[in-house]
Amino acid sequence: MDGSIALWMFGAVFIVLLMGYPVAISLAGTALVFAFAGDYLGTFDSAFLEALPNRLFGIIENDTLVAVPLFVFMGVMLEKSNVAESLLENMSKLFGTLSGGLGFSVVLVGMLMAASTGIVGATVVTMGLLSLPTMLKRQYDPALACGTICASGTLGQIIPPSIVLVLLGDVISSAYQQAQLDMGIFSPETVSVGDLFAGALIPGIVLVILYLIYLAGIAFFKPSACPALPVEETDNSLYLNLIMGLLPPLILIIAVLGSIIGGIATPTEAASVGAMGATFLAFLKKQFSLQQLKVVAQDTTQVTSMVFFILIGASLFSLVFRGFGGDELIEELLSDLPGGVFGAMLVVMLVMFLLGFVLDFIEITFVVVPIVAPILLAMGISPVWLGIMIALNLQTSFLTPPFGFALFYLRGVAPASIKTSQIYRGVLPFILIQLFLLTLLAIWPDLATWLPTIIYGN
Amino acid sequence: MLNKLIRFIDATNQSISSMVSWLLALMVLTMFCIVVLRYGFNIGSIAVQESITYMHGLVFMLAIAHTLRINGHVRVDILYQRWGKKGQAIVNLLGSLFLLLPVCAFIVYISWDYVSSSWSYYEGSREAGGLEGVFLLKSLIPLMAFLLFLQGLSEAMKSICTLSEKQ
Repeated sequence: MDGSIALWMFGAVFIVLLMGYPVAISLAGTALVFAFAGDYLGTFDSAFLEALPNRLFGIIENDTLVAVPLFVFMGVMLEKSNVAESLLENMSKLFGTLSGGLGFSVVLVGMLMAASTGIVGATVVTMGLLSLPTMLKRQYDPALACGTICASGTLGQIIPPSIVLVLLGDVISSAYQQAQLDMGIFSPETVSVGDLFAGALIPGIVLVILYLIYLAGIAFFKPSACPALPVEETDNSLYLNLIMGLLPPLILIIAVLGSIIGGIATPTEAASVGAMGATFLAFLKKQFSLQQLKVVAQDTTQVTSMVFFILIGASLFSLVFRGFGGDELIEELLSDLPGGVFGAMLVVMLVMFLLGFVLDFIEITFVVVPIVAPILLAMGISPVWLGIMIALNLQTSFLTPPFGFALFYLRGVAPASIKTSQIYRGVLPFILIQLFLLTLLAIWPDLATWLPTIIYGN
Repeated sequence: MLNKLIRFIDATNQSISSMVSWLLALMVLTMFCIVVLRYGFNIGSIAVQESITYMHGLVFMLAIAHTLRINGHVRVDILYQRWGKKGQAIVNLLGSLFLLLPVCAFIVYISWDYVSSSWSYYEGSREAGGLEGVFLLKSLIPLMAFLLFLQGLSEAMKSICTLSEKQ
């Protein structure tokens, strides 16, 4: 069978996707058209499609993925009960009197909120609405303000417990099994979502520190770009407010993350505790009502069905892709590259970076990762390192003009007085920081793999 | 007549979606109780554990159709957002006719034997003490496709209405 039809299918789906019909159906529909045409022309064995019902049932039965609606519930609940708003308000009161302080608060709140929602769009929009007007009013350089908000908003990809890491963990874990079986290892090692969370922790924190160093540098060398707020009379109630605002979400995140990384609870169990904790928090803040619960549950249901529908569409797509011999073709292409593992990894990263302009994280995780990950893992790459590299790479892609998702989201909520070119200029230094960390991680995979090894042994 | 059909489909899927979203709230609560019972009292029940899978499956499978109506499924909107109301209606009409409806019909077709063989012996849980409704859980696959098919019809009709409106 000629695998090149599979590549034509990839091209075709790309064009269909650009038309703007929902991604899940575009994937499934295009694949189906190719399957029928191939069956008619005798280049495709329709027996491949018989596996579909079992695949779909596998999605329903998958225990790891139950964590997704629970984490989404937790995030939506925190968002609707305005935890981020009061956090940002109190923090900027604390840091605001320093030059660059407002930027610091945005990064830190972005980190905390990202850890609890993990949805890029939501974080960028929230932060854009909350902090951009304040920063502009305080004479922040608009480019700097926009860059800081976009970058902080994308932290949700990499900082656990991000939802995409749950999805990525599930996909990489089955790819890892497959790679080892292909190599003739019949008692394969496993990799879990917990491994990926642990692996993401150090790179995520390093990233936040690098952001903060950059802001501190600006504050030192060019204080006019990020002036301090005028000193208001601070009383003790500020510190009390800050602690009261900061502690509950912090405890929640540490409890959820700690129990997963510590191996005490599965991600699903920890997520349910997080979801109940967020509800309790809303209750304490007097933001909880039956009406509110209904809204949160409905939003969560929609996000969940959106995510899983992509998974359904992608599983039909990858079945047909395999049926045309696409996976063998990709394997040949990747193993024939000069530079061996390094070359293969570099090409995969570049392709994903470009795909990140059009597709978002979930789609790339479900469509591209299952195709390339088994091949890369069979070359001996560590699964945790691969996962974190993918996450960091896509995060960079979402920041990169002109197509980065984060930029669109911010453009959507930024006032018209902000020029798009200012947003682009503002994110540039952050993209350089991302690339720096990506290089660092490529040179020292230990940055990602050290912590999981310490915690889980082997 | 057409309007009635559109309204009927939309209302059906909407009420299913809001029902399952309450189920989602129940699922959060149940999962939390499982955790408390397991870590606090060392009590576990396979049936309750499996009920999570059932609730989860019901929630996301049955809400897919309504999510289509409220435009909750992600699109690549680089071009789409610039295409105006009519252009978008064309995309949606063509997408419904040539992508969505065939895919849904195909899923019903391909899963028919799979599900009916499960029904033939009322397939139950593989675990002792588990829930005995695996055949029902498997039925979610064609049911999801059926509901989405209906919603696709409704969306196609709405696109036609948009296109036939005067400027």
